[in-house]
Amino acid sequence: MLEIKGLSKSFGGIIVADQIDLVMRPGRILGLIGPNGAGKTSLFNLVSGLYAPNRGTITLDGEPLDGLALHERARRGLARTWQHVRLFPSLSVLDNLIIGARHYPAESLVILMVRPGKIRAAAKAARAKALDILARIGLPDSADKSVGDLPYGQQKLVGVARALMNDARCLLLDEPMAGVEGQAYEAMQTIVREVAQSGVAVCVVEHNVAFIRDLCDEAVFMFQGRILARGSIAELIANPDLTELYFGH
Amino acid sequence: MDYVYSIIILIGLFVILASSFNLIIGYGGLISIAHPIFYGLGAYTSGLLARDLGLPVPLSILSGALVAMLLSVAMALPALRISGDYLLIASIGFQLGMIELIKNLRFTGGASGVSGIPAFLVPSFGRGIYVALVSAVAIGVVLLVRWIAHSDYGRAISAMRDDEQAFAALGRDAKWIKVSIFALGSAIAGLAGALYAHYFRFVTAEQFEILMSSTILTMVVVGGLKTPWGPVIGAILLQILPQAITFLNLPPVILGPLQGLLFTGLVLIFMFLRPGGLVRAGNTWRATGAGRGGG
Repeated sequence: MLEIKGLSKSFGGIIVADQIDLVMRPGRILGLIGPNGAGKTSLFNLVSGLYAPNRGTITLDGEPLDGLALHERARRGLARTWQHVRLFPSLSVLDNLIIGARHYPAESLVILMVRPGKIRAAAKAARAKALDILARIGLPDSADKSVGDLPYGQQKLVGVARALMNDARCLLLDEPMAGVEGQAYEAMQTIVREVAQSGVAVCVVEHNVAFIRDLCDEAVFMFQGRILARGSIAELIANPDLTELYFGH
Repeated sequence: MDYVYSIIILIGLFVILASSFNLIIGYGGLISIAHPIFYGLGAYTSGLLARDLGLPVPLSILSGALVAMLLSVAMALPALRISGDYLLIASIGFQLGMIELIKNLRFTGGASGVSGIPAFLVPSFGRGIYVALVSAVAIGVVLLVRWIAHSDYGRAISAMRDDEQAFAALGRDAKWIKVSIFALGSAIAGLAGALYAHYFRFVTAEQFEILMSSTILTMVVVGGLKTPWGPVIGAILLQILPQAITFLNLPPVILGPLQGLLFTGLVLIFMFLRPGGLVRAGNTWRATGAGRGGG
């Protein structure tokens, strides 16, 4: 369970998070909605360690994440995707996934030189896992393709697949459906639902209200760095004040 | 014949320097101009340990590489804690500062440099054996860099170079990788410096000035960044061309500037006509034996 308490962050006079309290529970999908500039992605950046908060605490299954760097939080079981995908263009689809493996010892030059067998074994396991995930998202034949050769929707799927390699306990998805349609849309829904069913706490920032409605167990509405309301997506949409804030009418 | 041996040894040493610099700047994407000073630190350390403390030359050569590596870590660690950009600033300061230090310390011989460095292998076996040694080290370094670049570690380097934040968000420690690459590249430069010292037996600080950075960089860029063989071709080409010009029997007033213009001209030509260098890297990283190289 990921628990956020009193999280605040401002850049000069601009407040991106204002006393945010939020809980992401295992096996549940939480939707994060709100207009552009509400602070949704900033909240992900704070939770994942990209930004340091001014105040507040974040714990994952009771373990404080405060002060930990991006990679240290990921190693503790926090995975995220990016609004603009951010795949590694110089790697194939398969290698993009392998690099995200939870146990990838090949970032140590010493181990590479002293125990190359250990790295080969880990890479082999990561490769098998990556191929399995690619099959689950419907891209088994794209393993050796360059990520730049994939349509945008499939790139988004690969971005989520890469995050799944971490075996995370909490998964933050930043606009996974932007630019995604057709088969990729269906595949994305399926994979997100499966991940949650496996016991992962999932949080989705999304403008696609239908996706949030179909998938999320509950949702929160953010505006100007604050959480204004919580509930089911139907309840939030039914609130005329929130609709006006979201759509401007 | 001695002249030819010296040229071959210099080519070998520059292959080592260019390949190790390619690991740092090409594969690692780390911008540093301090490669010559690590070359110099290896030369000075090995030369002084062998001459003044009587350390066996093989041990002093290894010590030269070790000192270069340790000092590179000391320089890179605080810089890379902030960002990669600071490495460039730190490297400029380190390069200039160390050169001044060497010029002003008594035990390094000050501006006069260090002479009388013990020769290695040559007195007993002749110059040919030293050519073989340097060639073997050069081939070893090229193969080492190629192996690293196309290993599972190389995959991580490529990803880190592409997008450091996305890489870190997957649980990968980019800083540790950068420090490791920088340390290894610098240690190899130190090794080259030590090999230089025990063949030419005389070193001065001027040999390792900042100008040498542009020479090594030109070799890497002209040869081909992020390719194992590009820096080899670049080093050979840019060592042979200036020597070849001397056979034109031009007056010294023309010859000197012409050699200088050669480097500048080549960089400009390659920037506009072939930015990838003579050997172009592939667009997609591949593991060793998995097809075309590059990345």
